[in-house]
Amino acid sequence: MATRTETLRRRTLAARKPLSRQARRRSRLAPIAKHAVLIFACVIILFPIAWVFLLSIKSLPDAYTNRIWPHHFDFSHYGEALSGIDTLRQNFTNSVIVTVATMLITSFVAVLAGYALVHLRTPGRGLVLSILVASMFIPTRVTGLISIYQIQNDLGLINSTWGLILPYQTLALAVSVFIMRGVFETIPKELPESARIDGASSLTILTRIMLPLVRNGIVVVLITNFIAAWGEWLLANTLIDDQDKRTFPVVIAGAFGGMGQWQWPNIAAVYIVGILPGLLIFAFTQRWYMRGLQEGALKG
Amino acid sequence: MAARGAVARPPRRLGRVGATTRRVGTTWPYLVPALFFFVGWQLYPIVRVLWISFTDYHFLTGGPTHWIGLQNYTDAFSDPLVRKGLMRAAIFTAVFLPGMVFFPMVLAVLVDRVRNSKAASTYRLILLIPAMIPGPLIFVLWGWLYSSAIGPINYFLVDVFHVYNIYNEPQWLGSSALVYVSLAMMEWWWGLGFHTMFYLAGLGTIPKELYESARVDGASEWRVFWRITFPRLRPILLVLVVLRFGTAFALIDEYIILGGFNRDRPTYTWTVYMWDNAFQVGDWNQGFAAAVGLIGTAAMLVVVLWLFYLFRSRD
Repeated sequence: MATRTETLRRRTLAARKPLSRQARRRSRLAPIAKHAVLIFACVIILFPIAWVFLLSIKSLPDAYTNRIWPHHFDFSHYGEALSGIDTLRQNFTNSVIVTVATMLITSFVAVLAGYALVHLRTPGRGLVLSILVASMFIPTRVTGLISIYQIQNDLGLINSTWGLILPYQTLALAVSVFIMRGVFETIPKELPESARIDGASSLTILTRIMLPLVRNGIVVVLITNFIAAWGEWLLANTLIDDQDKRTFPVVIAGAFGGMGQWQWPNIAAVYIVGILPGLLIFAFTQRWYMRGLQEGALKG
Repeated sequence: MAARGAVARPPRRLGRVGATTRRVGTTWPYLVPALFFFVGWQLYPIVRVLWISFTDYHFLTGGPTHWIGLQNYTDAFSDPLVRKGLMRAAIFTAVFLPGMVFFPMVLAVLVDRVRNSKAASTYRLILLIPAMIPGPLIFVLWGWLYSSAIGPINYFLVDVFHVYNIYNEPQWLGSSALVYVSLAMMEWWWGLGFHTMFYLAGLGTIPKELYESARVDGASEWRVFWRITFPRLRPILLVLVVLRFGTAFALIDEYIILGGFNRDRPTYTWTVYMWDNAFQVGDWNQGFAAAVGLIGTAAMLVVVLWLFYLFRSRD
C-alpha cells in the first residue's frame, strides 16, 4: 500500500500541468453546484419542521387558510394545549417514565455486554454475537408482537404504563450491544491486560479504566435508546387501552385537527413539545455523538 | 456490520474444563442482564409465536387450545388478503429501496468534498435532524404534510402555483397510484441523514491521494466515482440494502397510522392484516395471525438470504 501511494504521489507531482480553460471553468462551477445541492437537501430537511413550528404559533384564521407565514402570531396555543387537552400531561409523564427507565437500563446492560464480548474471555461469545446480529435482520418486533401481548398478559401488565418498560428493553438492545462492542474494540487489549496483572478485578477495570474511554459510545447508545423509547408507538398502542395510561406518541397519532382543544395549532404545539427533547439533547451532545459514531458505532 | 463477522476466538486450552467453567462464572454475569431481556422479549416470543401458529388459539374466548397442525397455514395461503398483503409490502419495498440507496450516496459524496470543515459539519448536523425524531412522530408529521386540509404541499400546488385545483389535487395518501411513492418519500426524508453518515464513514477510509492522482491523470469525475469511490462504498451499500429490506418489508406503524384498517387500501399489508386479526377482528384469532406473521417473516428471510448469497458470490 505504501509503495503504491508513493508512486501515485510521484506521478501526481510529475503530471501537474496547467488546467485547460474548460477544466478551470468546471472547477469554478462545481463547488457552486455542490453547495446548491447540499443546501437544497437541508431546506427539504428543515421545511417540514419549520412548517409545523409555524403552525403552532399561527393565529387560528392563518392556520385554517394554510398560509405558511402567518399574518398574526399567536403564542397561546402551547399553554392551551398543555392545560386544555384532558390527559396530555399524564401522557407526557408516562412517556418520560418509560423512556428514562428504558434508556438507563438498556444502556447499562449494553455496556456490560459489550465489555464482556470484547475484553473478557467470555465462553460462547461468538454464538451470542451472531444471534444478536441475526436479530437485527429479522423484524422480531412485528412477528413477536402476539407473544409479547400474551407474555405481558400472563404477567398482568396489560394496560400498565410501567409494564411497557420490559418489552421496551429490546427496542434497541441488539444495536446498543453492537455499538458498545464496536467502541470497546477501539481500546487496545493491552490496557486491561496490564491492569489485570496489577491485580485489578474485571469490574474495577470496567468502571475505572474503560468507562471514561467509551464515553462517546455511551452517548450514542443513550440517544439511540431515547429515540426508540420516546417515540415507540406499536407496543404502546397494542398493550395499553386507557387514554390516561397511554404514552404521548399514541395520543398524537390518534389526534385529528378539529375545534376547541383539538384545533390544529394546539396539536402542532403538542408535536413541537414532543420532538423538542430529542432535538435539544442532540444539540447539546452532538459533539460526543458525532465522535461516538465515528469511533465505532458506524463501522461497516 | 455483518461483514466483520464474529470476533476471533480466544485460543482454546485443551483439557482445562475447569478453567472454562470458572470463566463462565466470572464473565457471564456481564452478559446475563442483556440476555435476560433479549431472550425474554425477543427470542422467546418468536418461538412462542411459532407454537401458537399451530394451534386454534383465540385470545378472547380463552377456552382450551387445540393443536391443529398446519390448518392456519393452509388457511393463510388460500386467503387472498395474505397474498395481496405480501404483494403490497413487496411493491412498497421495491419503490423505497432504490431511492434509499441513491440519495444518501449522492449527498455523502458531496459532503465528503466540502473542504470547509465548518460547512461540512453544519451539513452533517442538519441532515441528521430527522434521525433525532422518533419514527411514529415522523409519520404523524408527514400525514399532516400530505393532508389536503392542512398540508403545505397541496397548499403550494393549489393556492400558490395553481398547478391543481381543489377538485383534482393529488391525494398523496388516498390514491393507490401515489401512496407508495408518498410513503417512500417520507422514509427517504427520515433516513437521509443517517444513511448519509453510513456512507460518509466509508468515504472517510479512502485516501485522498487516490482522488488527486486520478484527477491529475485526467480522469473525469464520473470515472473517479465509479473506479475509486463506488467500489469502496459497495460493502456499506450491501449492508444497508439487506438491513433496510428487512425493515421495509415488515413496516407496520406507518401503514396503520397513515392508512388505518381499510382492507381495500394499498397500505393494508400482511403486517396490518396480522395485527387486525390478532387484536381487533372477532375473538382475536391469534393462531391464524401468528401464521400470517410467520409467512411474511419467512418470505422476507428468503429474500434476505438470497441477497446475502448474491452479494457474497460477487466478492
